[in-house]
Amino acid sequence: MSQLVKLIIDGQDYEAEQDSLLIQLLIDKEIKVPYFCYHESLGADGNCRMCMVGIEGQKRPQIACDTLIKEGMIVNTKTDTIKQVHTDILELELINHPVDCPTCDQAGECSLQDFYMEYGLHSSKITIEEKVKHNKAIDLGSNVMLDQERCVLCARCTRFTDKITGTHELGIVGRGDEAKVTTMPNRPLSNPYAMNVVDLCPVGALTSKDFRFSQRVWLLESADGVCHGCAKNCSIIIDHNKLKYKDDTIYRFRPRRNDAINGFFICDTGRLSYRELQENRQETPLLDGVKISEDKAIEKAKELILLYKRNTSIIIDANLYTQEIEAIVAFAQEIGADVYAPLDIYRDEAFGDDMLRSSMRAANAQTIINMDINTQKPKKVGLILNFNHPEKFESAATINFLTHTRAETALTLPIATFTESSGSLTNEDGITQFSKKVIHKNIPVPTLIESLKRVSQ
Amino acid sequence: MSHNIKITARPERTLKHNLYLPAIYAGFKVTFKHFFTNLNDINAVETLRYPEEQPTDISSRYRGLHRLTHREDGTEACVACFMCATACPSNCIFIEAQEREDGVDEKRPKSFFIDTLECVFCGYCVEACPCDAIRMDTGIFSLTGDKREDFVMDKEMLLSHKGAFGEEVSCARG
Repeated sequence: MSQLVKLIIDGQDYEAEQDSLLIQLLIDKEIKVPYFCYHESLGADGNCRMCMVGIEGQKRPQIACDTLIKEGMIVNTKTDTIKQVHTDILELELINHPVDCPTCDQAGECSLQDFYMEYGLHSSKITIEEKVKHNKAIDLGSNVMLDQERCVLCARCTRFTDKITGTHELGIVGRGDEAKVTTMPNRPLSNPYAMNVVDLCPVGALTSKDFRFSQRVWLLESADGVCHGCAKNCSIIIDHNKLKYKDDTIYRFRPRRNDAINGFFICDTGRLSYRELQENRQETPLLDGVKISEDKAIEKAKELILLYKRNTSIIIDANLYTQEIEAIVAFAQEIGADVYAPLDIYRDEAFGDDMLRSSMRAANAQTIINMDINTQKPKKVGLILNFNHPEKFESAATINFLTHTRAETALTLPIATFTESSGSLTNEDGITQFSKKVIHKNIPVPTLIESLKRVSQ
Repeated sequence: MSHNIKITARPERTLKHNLYLPAIYAGFKVTFKHFFTNLNDINAVETLRYPEEQPTDISSRYRGLHRLTHREDGTEACVACFMCATACPSNCIFIEAQEREDGVDEKRPKSFFIDTLECVFCGYCVEACPCDAIRMDTGIFSLTGDKREDFVMDKEMLLSHKGAFGEEVSCARG
């Protein structure tokens, strides 16, 4: 623990650790300072020159991201000189910018747009025809699209592949206005965390091929969520909206900062898992592959449960919320059924790594273990109640509670996915997170607990 | 609260005001002036025998039915930036974007619908468009149809409408 020192910023007293980065203090204290290249996970690089501040005793403005805090420092961020410096550097950053915001997916969450409104508002001294042309819409691989014209050369993406993934796919080649981000010939961007560069990129140079042109970002609503891709439970932001005459739809998952679990990033598999979540949904009850009414399905389920009393096994999916698992266990005690949660099917050694991917591909497997639920396969019995478990087990009769459609002839009741219900999850390190209901469908599918209540009445 | 209220003195009412007759006289003077002028000369009546007679005073500023403008190569100028849909106060513009493959631009609208029954013809979409791709200069002021669907304009219909005042090609995306 280093020593705390006092410093003055814009006439206010602050305390900070000696030799810590000045820009971090400014960001933490919400003192406005523009920056492109600094990122807490990547450290200071000092190449964009946007974060200029005045430091008393220094001849000229200094970059805050590479300035270490010293005792008695007097920092000014709002003087006329500093404002002029910000405007001038922004003008330089924008000199070769193609100003194609109408076609750019970053528009609405772009640092260049924000800073122009805050610090710029200058008229360009250069025409569109005079601007240096680079390549646009280059597919880098791993669902990342590169537009070299929009790039401000902050090197966040190259530092990500150097420092975080260690795969070194991206680099900056050329000098002056010929400098551009690129990959080696025939060596595409390929690592399981590649799409994080899209979030890291402060401008529209790196955009997601998956999200490309699907929505404008200002039309999206953001809600906190938890990724269900594996037992890591990375914190995510769910970007969704319900457009006029349409249903509530998720358009993308983004990482949400959580220092206890995933830091700033998520893996690409988790990021793209929203697609599977919305496809092939089980929306109506089925019997022998034919749609039946909900009342009839509940009636049929009650009949079966009564018929096979004391001869029933319940199978639980390890992705369900803790509250749902508890409700199922309580229900099992009521009808005298055995509870199983076979975990073997979720193990995928090829998926796991030492960053954010766990080889246990079930979000709430830890709760199954904590609650001492039998993780073996069930013995052959009369009736099986399958609560969304991916495996199929032999039995005389089956009742399925499914989120997504499957080739099934047994009685099937639809249940809501994790975004359509709320509950808590415990990850493999024992950290519990609560996840709220985010998606409100026009015709809501009952949650597992609602269905269970009706069946047990 | 009180500091926001500005008290103005009421004008003093004189006998002239309280009699009302001078004001009534002034009002009827205008009415009867028009009445006798029109009685003498029927052509002075400021009405239009619509639809046989069509209005001649529709200027280039008149907000008629929308149209999508073209580029010089005949394709649509719109790049599906959603500015019009965002600005629209009645949310009657429905766009779906798609990759443009011909190299002219990156993006184009896959579908573009305007529900003219919901539209209030405020012209915000035209104001918002950064590409001069949507205009309301068709001069079309009357819309007819047999069913509601007839009033939902799709991309092809909007592109087929002609401008009534020249400038066929988008000024921003020539």
